[in-house]
Amino acid sequence: MEDKFDCIVIGAGVAGLAAAMTLARNNMKFLLIEKGEFAGAKNVSGGVLWGSDLNKLVPNYWEEEDGGWERYINHRRLTFMDEESTFSLDFKSKHFNETPYTGVVVLRSKFDNWLAGKVQEAIDASDFAMDSFIATDIKVDEVIMENDKAVGIKTGEDEFHADSVIIAEGVNNLLTRQVGLQDKYVPADHMLTGIKEIIRFDQKVLEDRFQLNGLSGMSNEFVGWATNGIEGGGFLYTNRDTISLGLVLGLKDLREKQQKPYDVLNHFKQHPTIADAIKGGEIVEYSAHVVSSGDSRVMPKELYKDGILLVGEAANLLMNAGKAIQGMDYAMRSGILAAETIVEAKAKGDYTSSTLKEYRTKMDDSYVMKDIKGFQDAVHLLHTDTMQQKVPNLVCDFGRQFFTIKNEPTPKSEKMLLGAIKRHSSLWELAKLGFKARKSL
Amino acid sequence: MKLLNLSEQLGLVSYRNQAKSEIKPHIIVDTDICNTTCPHKCTTWVCPANCYTMDDAGKVHFQVEDCIECGTCMYACDQGAVDWNYPDPEIGRGVTWNFG
Repeated sequence: MEDKFDCIVIGAGVAGLAAAMTLARNNMKFLLIEKGEFAGAKNVSGGVLWGSDLNKLVPNYWEEEDGGWERYINHRRLTFMDEESTFSLDFKSKHFNETPYTGVVVLRSKFDNWLAGKVQEAIDASDFAMDSFIATDIKVDEVIMENDKAVGIKTGEDEFHADSVIIAEGVNNLLTRQVGLQDKYVPADHMLTGIKEIIRFDQKVLEDRFQLNGLSGMSNEFVGWATNGIEGGGFLYTNRDTISLGLVLGLKDLREKQQKPYDVLNHFKQHPTIADAIKGGEIVEYSAHVVSSGDSRVMPKELYKDGILLVGEAANLLMNAGKAIQGMDYAMRSGILAAETIVEAKAKGDYTSSTLKEYRTKMDDSYVMKDIKGFQDAVHLLHTDTMQQKVPNLVCDFGRQFFTIKNEPTPKSEKMLLGAIKRHSSLWELAKLGFKARKSL
Repeated sequence: MKLLNLSEQLGLVSYRNQAKSEIKPHIIVDTDICNTTCPHKCTTWVCPANCYTMDDAGKVHFQVEDCIECGTCMYACDQGAVDWNYPDPEIGRGVTWNFG
């Protein structure tokens, strides 16, 4: 491994693996370094991988008997929650059964390891079958800079050299900070902590309970009482024979309202709707992962510098604008685009910013940056107290009246709605909200 | 379903190098900063593994053993008290997720 690589990719998560796959397919000589025992060993997500980019990396991945993914999403649900009730928007459609799927649930320890196997196959089929490597159990201490250009990495006493480095280290972006692309302190007010339990069931019980068919799956997000007054939300995703149940909770609110994440999770699990959903299950893992709210203020100043490209959550590429929590798909697309830029840089023989800035252009032209820029107002709106508390309470209050039959004269729905609005908010507040929502969503 | 408390939840985590008596801590916390100048002691509320605790006198204590490498404290601390790193694969503690 003495020779210089075209590229060193740091981190075998979704972003790093997508980059590595693209490099291998383009006959590049690279080293993919992972600090865990295997790819995925240290990775945690909610997690749904949205969109169809996976099909670009592993064409017709669904044909494989036991691929690395858990279930494809054909059933989506957004649930408003108050203390006693849940009121859901529920959408299930046959069109989601068509391939390529538009969302698959994954468990990262299995998924990333599977994807790394596919990358190894691509390496074996490339011109550098003997010279490109996936190396695990190696922690990168430092990106080696010469004249402010990256020339390799250092791990313990060892150095590896390359024309370029793709930093795919994830949200705990120490190297990103070391090379000066992100400030030492990121405003914690726009960061949340995600915590999750994996709960196991008999597979038949799980499939019957959530009306799953074959490998179909459901994603359910929760807003309101779930978080006990803390900014954030909840999620439930169905895996093969487990569910991923968790919360994403704002650091600022936890601190100010003096609550602990695991207490809030147990609070969520005691809601009657959730208690029914998880009845009889066995908790098999508890995990956590800090995440950005999608506020662009926590994103690094730039995504490149001489010899370096930044991908995935290392660049805090993540967003929840109300439709879905997106992060792994951003990681995948940014990994692909970064690797394509490295391929161009090699062809030109220039790995400086003047070539690597093309990555920024590709990202700006992609749905990733277009969505992150276009939905900033939605991110801010979703994190307001009105959306987090008042709307869920109002919706559930209305639902309770609307669906209750009392053998008494029934008031008109409008009257019920106005009553609910007055109890939890005001017409004026909702008019403002509606106006903002129309513009931002 | 029975709820688990935090120690039961953490009991489900697979930590590396658990058998080793001497581990190299991957997070160093200067609790002097927490206990003198820090105005919010944020880590004691947000850590999902309760590695940061506040005693009855309001003093912050830190233990690295239960850390699940989520990175929450790295972002939560803006006072320069938390020196965060990933655990060394050989001599550090740290996690290997079974599900992730």
